[in-house]
Amino acid sequence: MIETIKLSKTYKGKKAVDEINIYLDEGESVGLLGPNGAGKSTTISMISSLLKPTSGDVKLDGKSTIKNPAEIRKVLGVVPQEIALYEELSAYENLKFFGEIYKVKKNVLEQRIQDVLDMVGLKERQKELVKTFSGGMKRRVNIAAALLHNPKILVLDEPTVGIDPQSRNHILETVRKLNEENGTTVLYTSHYMEEVEQLCKRVYIMDHGKVVASGSKAELLSILSSEDTIRVNLSETSDELIKKIKSLEYIRLVDETSEGIRIICKKGANILGDLVRAAESERIQLTNYQMETPSLEDVFLHLTGRTLRD
Amino acid sequence: MRSFLRKDLLVFWRDRKEVLISLLAPILLIVVLNFAFSDLFGEDAEGLDIDLGIVLEDDESLGFEQFTETVLGMDLSEEEKEAMIAQASSISPGGLMTSFFSDPELSGWITTRELSEVDAKEKVANGDLDAFVKIPDGFTYDVLSQLMLDQPAENALTIQIEEQSTESDTIHNIISNYLDTLNFQFALQGVTDGELQDPILPQGGREVIEGVESFGISQYFTVAMSFLFALFIASTVAMKTTTEKRERVFNRIILTNSNPISFLMGKTISTFCFVWLQLMIVFTVSHLLLDVFEGKAMAFWFGAIIIITCFSLAVAGLSAVFTTITLIINNTDAANGAFNLVIMLFAAVGGNFFPTQGLPEWLQKIGEWTPNGLSLSVFMQWTQFGDFQTLIIPMVKLFVFFVGCLLIGIVLFPRRGRA
Repeated sequence: MIETIKLSKTYKGKKAVDEINIYLDEGESVGLLGPNGAGKSTTISMISSLLKPTSGDVKLDGKSTIKNPAEIRKVLGVVPQEIALYEELSAYENLKFFGEIYKVKKNVLEQRIQDVLDMVGLKERQKELVKTFSGGMKRRVNIAAALLHNPKILVLDEPTVGIDPQSRNHILETVRKLNEENGTTVLYTSHYMEEVEQLCKRVYIMDHGKVVASGSKAELLSILSSEDTIRVNLSETSDELIKKIKSLEYIRLVDETSEGIRIICKKGANILGDLVRAAESERIQLTNYQMETPSLEDVFLHLTGRTLRD
Repeated sequence: MRSFLRKDLLVFWRDRKEVLISLLAPILLIVVLNFAFSDLFGEDAEGLDIDLGIVLEDDESLGFEQFTETVLGMDLSEEEKEAMIAQASSISPGGLMTSFFSDPELSGWITTRELSEVDAKEKVANGDLDAFVKIPDGFTYDVLSQLMLDQPAENALTIQIEEQSTESDTIHNIISNYLDTLNFQFALQGVTDGELQDPILPQGGREVIEGVESFGISQYFTVAMSFLFALFIASTVAMKTTTEKRERVFNRIILTNSNPISFLMGKTISTFCFVWLQLMIVFTVSHLLLDVFEGKAMAFWFGAIIIITCFSLAVAGLSAVFTTITLIINNTDAANGAFNLVIMLFAAVGGNFFPTQGLPEWLQKIGEWTPNGLSLSVFMQWTQFGDFQTLIIPMVKLFVFFVGCLLIGIVLFPRRGRA
C-alpha cells in the first residue's frame, strides 16, 4: 500500500534519515521504534508529504507521492507529536473547522464529529475550550482531528508523550480498535517499547537515521537467540567489577541497573562461577541471579548499544 | 475560505487580552494625550479666556494740547505745523489700544475692563485678572512726539502679570504685535508724503479662511493613534500564524489539501474586519468622550467611513505579507521584530507620532507613501475641506497598496510544510 524507497533527508550536511526502506500493507499495524533523534518524526513528515526528501521516494499503491502529494493526503490521517489544535476554540469548533477544510460533506460532518468524539471519549466535553483540557484530553482531540475524513492510513507520531495512564490506555485502545475493527492501516511511532509490542504486528527499529532491524516481534527476538540476558542484583556495584565481567570472552554487553547489572552473553555460557569469583574479589555480595526472557528492549540494546530512552 | 475566516475571527475574539489592548489602548492614549496637550497646543482660541485690566492714566486731550504747543513752538512753516497738528489729531494711541481689544475677534476671548492701578494690582494678585495694561500719564504726548517728532518716549506702556501662563504670554504677544504694527504704519506714512491714513492694526485671534474648517489637536490624536494601533493588528494576526506554525496546526491544514490561498485570505479578511471594527469603535468612543468631531454632518461621517474602509484594506494587505513572511522564515522572533520595526517606521514617517506639517515638504511627501500617512493626510483634508474629489486618488492608492501586498503574499506563500 505504502512504501519508502531509499528515503533520505539531509539537514546542513547531516543525514537525519539515511536511505530507509519501509513498507506498510493494507490493514497492517506497523511500529517505528527508536530513541529521540533517531529520525522517526522526519520519516513521518516525509511519508505524509509535509517534508520534501533530499533523495528517495514515497510510493502509494506504486505511485510516487513526491510530485503529487494530494493523493496521499486524501487517505492519510496524521497525528503529530504536538497538539495541533486551536487552544482558543472548543473541541467541537476545532473538529468542525478541520472537518470543513477536509471537505467532509456538510450532511455527514456533524455525525462524523460526534463519532470521533465518541471514539476518543470526549463527547460530553465537546463544547469546552481545548485550553481548559488536560494534556491527555488534548491528545485525544488531536487524534480525533486526524480521523474526521475517515483515513485509510493513520500515522501517529508519539501520541502518548507526557500523558496520564488513563488517557494513554484510551488512546492505545482507540488505535487498536481502528486497526482491528475498521481495518485502518497504522504506522505507530514511539519510544515506548510496550506500546509498540502491544499494538504492532511488525516493527522497524531506527537509530541514527537508519533502520537497524525490522520484522515481527518473534523475528526480532530471534536476533537474540544466540544470547542470554541475565539480571544480577548486587549489594553494590563498582567500575572495577564491571570491567572484570566485561573482560570475560563470552560477554557481549554489561549494562548497569538500579539494583545491580544486566548482562548479555553468549547462549549457554557458564557465567555464574566467573561472576561469583569476580564479585568475591571485589568484596561485593551477589544477592540475586535471574535469567531473563529477551524483550524488544533487549533487541534494541543489542543493536544500538543504548536504551530507547537514552 | 469561510471556515478559515470564521476560525480566525473566533481565535482573535477569544484572545480577550489582545482584544482589550487593541480597543482600550488607543482610546486611553487618545484621552490622555488630549488632556496633556490641549493646553500646550492651545487647542482653539475658544480654549482661552483672558481677563485683562486697563489702567488709563493718560489724558488724551491734555497730551494733544501739549503736542500742539510743542509743534507751534518749532521752527517750521505754518503749513507744516498745521499739517502735523491735523495728522496728530487723527491719532489716539490709547483709544487705538482699547478699540483694538474690543475688536470682535479678540473680544470673544479677551474681556477688558477699565480700573484704577490699585484695584488692578489687587485683582491681578487675587487672580481675578490675568494681567493689566497700564497706559501711563503722558502716553499720548510721548507716542505723538516719538512718531512725528522723533523724540524719545519717557512713559512706556507697562504690562503687569502675576505669574507666567499661556494667557499672560498671549497678552504680551498681542501688545508687542500691536506696537510693532503701529510703529511700522507710522513709519510707512513718513515715506508716503505724510498722507493721512488710518493705521492698519494687526488682526487678533484665529485666521479664518472661508469654507475651511480647522483640524484640531484632539482630532489629530484621535486619527493618528487609531491608525497607529490599527497597523499593529497586521503584526498581531501574523504572529498568530507563528503559533499555528509552531504547534503544527499549519501542517495539519496543509494535509487537508486546502488551497493555501484560503488560509491567507482568511487572515487577510479577518484583519480587515478587526481593523475596521477597531477604528469604528475607537472613533465613536473618542467622539462620545471628547466630542472630537463636534457638529459634523452625516456627509463627514460617510467620508470618514470610506477612509477607514480603504485604510483597513491596506492594513489587511500588510497582514497578508507579514503572514507569508512568518511562514517562510524560521526565526519568528526576528520576523516579529522586523514587523514592529516596519510599523514604527511607517508610523514615524506617516506622522502618527507627531504632526509632519512643520517638517520639510519632501518629508511630508515620503510620509504620504505609507498607508497610514496617506490616510492621516486625507482624513485631515476631508475634515477641513469636505471635498469628495480629494478622496478619490488617495483611496485608489490605498486599494492598489492592498492588491499589491496581497499579490506578494500569494506569490511567496509556501505550498508545502517545512522546507
